[in-house]
Amino acid sequence: MAVVSAPRDVSAPPVVPTRSPAPRRRRAGAARRRAGMLMVAPAFLHALIWIGIPVIAAFVLSFTHYDVLTQPRFNGIQNYVDALTDPVFRRGMLNTLVYAFFTVPVAMGIALLIALMLDTQLRARALFRTAVFIPQVTATIAVALVWLWIYDPRNGLLNAVLGFFGIPAQNWLSSTTWAMPSVIVVGIWQGIGLKMLIYLAALQSLPKDVYEAASVDGASKTRQFFSITLPLLKPATFFVFVTSVISAFQAFDLIYILTDGGPANTTTMMTYEIYKSAFREFRVGYACAQSIILFVFLLLLTLANRRLNGGDSGRH
Amino acid sequence: MAGIDLAATSPRTTLDVVGRSPATRRRLSRAALYVALGVIAVVMVVPFVWMVLTSLKTPADIAASPPTFLPTEWAWGNYADALAAAPFLTYARNSLIIAVSHTTINLVVASMAGYALARLRFRGSELVFLGFVAALMIPTYTKIIPEFLIVRFMPLFGGNDILGQGGTGWLDTWWALIVPGAVTPFAVFLFRQFYLDLPVELEEAARLDGVSELGIWARIMTPLVKPAFITVALLTFESSWNNFLWPLLVTRTDSMRVIQVGLSVFRTENDTQWAFLMAGTTLATVPMVALFLLGQKYFVRGFANAGIK
Repeated sequence: MAVVSAPRDVSAPPVVPTRSPAPRRRRAGAARRRAGMLMVAPAFLHALIWIGIPVIAAFVLSFTHYDVLTQPRFNGIQNYVDALTDPVFRRGMLNTLVYAFFTVPVAMGIALLIALMLDTQLRARALFRTAVFIPQVTATIAVALVWLWIYDPRNGLLNAVLGFFGIPAQNWLSSTTWAMPSVIVVGIWQGIGLKMLIYLAALQSLPKDVYEAASVDGASKTRQFFSITLPLLKPATFFVFVTSVISAFQAFDLIYILTDGGPANTTTMMTYEIYKSAFREFRVGYACAQSIILFVFLLLLTLANRRLNGGDSGRH
Repeated sequence: MAGIDLAATSPRTTLDVVGRSPATRRRLSRAALYVALGVIAVVMVVPFVWMVLTSLKTPADIAASPPTFLPTEWAWGNYADALAAAPFLTYARNSLIIAVSHTTINLVVASMAGYALARLRFRGSELVFLGFVAALMIPTYTKIIPEFLIVRFMPLFGGNDILGQGGTGWLDTWWALIVPGAVTPFAVFLFRQFYLDLPVELEEAARLDGVSELGIWARIMTPLVKPAFITVALLTFESSWNNFLWPLLVTRTDSMRVIQVGLSVFRTENDTQWAFLMAGTTLATVPMVALFLLGQKYFVRGFANAGIK
């Protein structure tokens, strides 16, 4: 019975317990507030120490020269200037944007297409949904290792399958042309399940009577899709976009296993440059500046999407 | 563009194939749909099948070009050999300990906080909630460097003095592996949403009966949001088991490594041992897939809920 208590009714605003102003209750109210504070305290302190302080520290350190061994030394915006003029970090920014373009909007289009295909009376839907979602719950390291083996130039599955169709073998991950597309394919492959699932859930909650009315009015199916379905999917689109952008900009494990940022920096990402600066070169202040730039990118993209999508006001 | 048409024709409709009877058209579009979905399903599943098949191949099969799909000889011994080649079981045990700790701590601490933020408003509770929402949006890479420094300079641990100097702090300890990732703002957020939907009457009645606030949370309200607990438990366990960068940064010794780091190290040290590597990868993947199959409903609801809310 507890199973059905998941929040379904999204449109109704949360019910705030109304406090009756009876004086007798006032003391009880104080006890309740104190209990509230005490119960929030552990999570609050944890977030303060491991999220709040680190973010502020990253910001402060980004204006210093710091190598862990000696005291940080203030050096103004030098780190930012260095980062934005460093050809490798710029390459990382460009690569991140390219990777995000294919694993977010493009993948979202594919996911929506699959979701629409599944939003029919289909016998094997549950099975299919499971198949698409499994890569999402699998560790990226495991996924990357499997694909590393599939992309293997000599004994890999991909070259064998392509060879069957007469397509010549490639050095997928060590070619400056093919490394990025190869990484992107794995990124799409792994993330498509979640995107599709959210779209499917949203599609299944769409009101059917609107479509019936539109059909009666003679709107074509294509017209219905663009005038009814897409606008109604806005909140889902907003959510999928934001979460996907966040994970696309933080792609790291894939790169670490598949290419190590190579060949010739063609697959390095902002996250990978942050990792290299901080933990291989010990340029901690510089790495913090890079990480703040990453943060700003994400913030701008989220805000821009909110603007474009008219926010997610309909559901909140 | 058949694909787009197919997409546009939501439920109960068909592809526009000119000059056929409606029944034939329906059958054709249905067939096209099944073929398209079948191809996608194969692409999604084949890498996993390939992983398992590779883990059961002999070196001769692995080196074969072009590769055979099925092993010519099923090398079940690969698993024992892989375990002998690297301490995968130790890695898996470490991952399990961390994932169970993260899950337990997150369930208790985050649900308590989510409950208080939903039902026990106090001065500033809205602000605290906004803080958690903001924390949700902080990218891992913006906080990971200072987190590492905090762990490294943790006072009075690992030979450090009171100022955090002289030793290695929490590096290479369970503290570093467990504490920083133990509570997630996402869990607090999700729990708050679930607790918000419960009726006020229950809480009021319990209060009149003299149940303490902690008791109301633990014994009255929490049993009603079991789905939230299962969802958060599964998601926390999954992300903890799959985590890579943080354990990579804070561990040095082999005995402290988690499964994902162990796999990556094994790969760099034994570049061509594909059978063993795929055996290890299978071992790392199977628990998650099993967990997902068991709790699919909750996984899906967890993700979708976060999407709709």
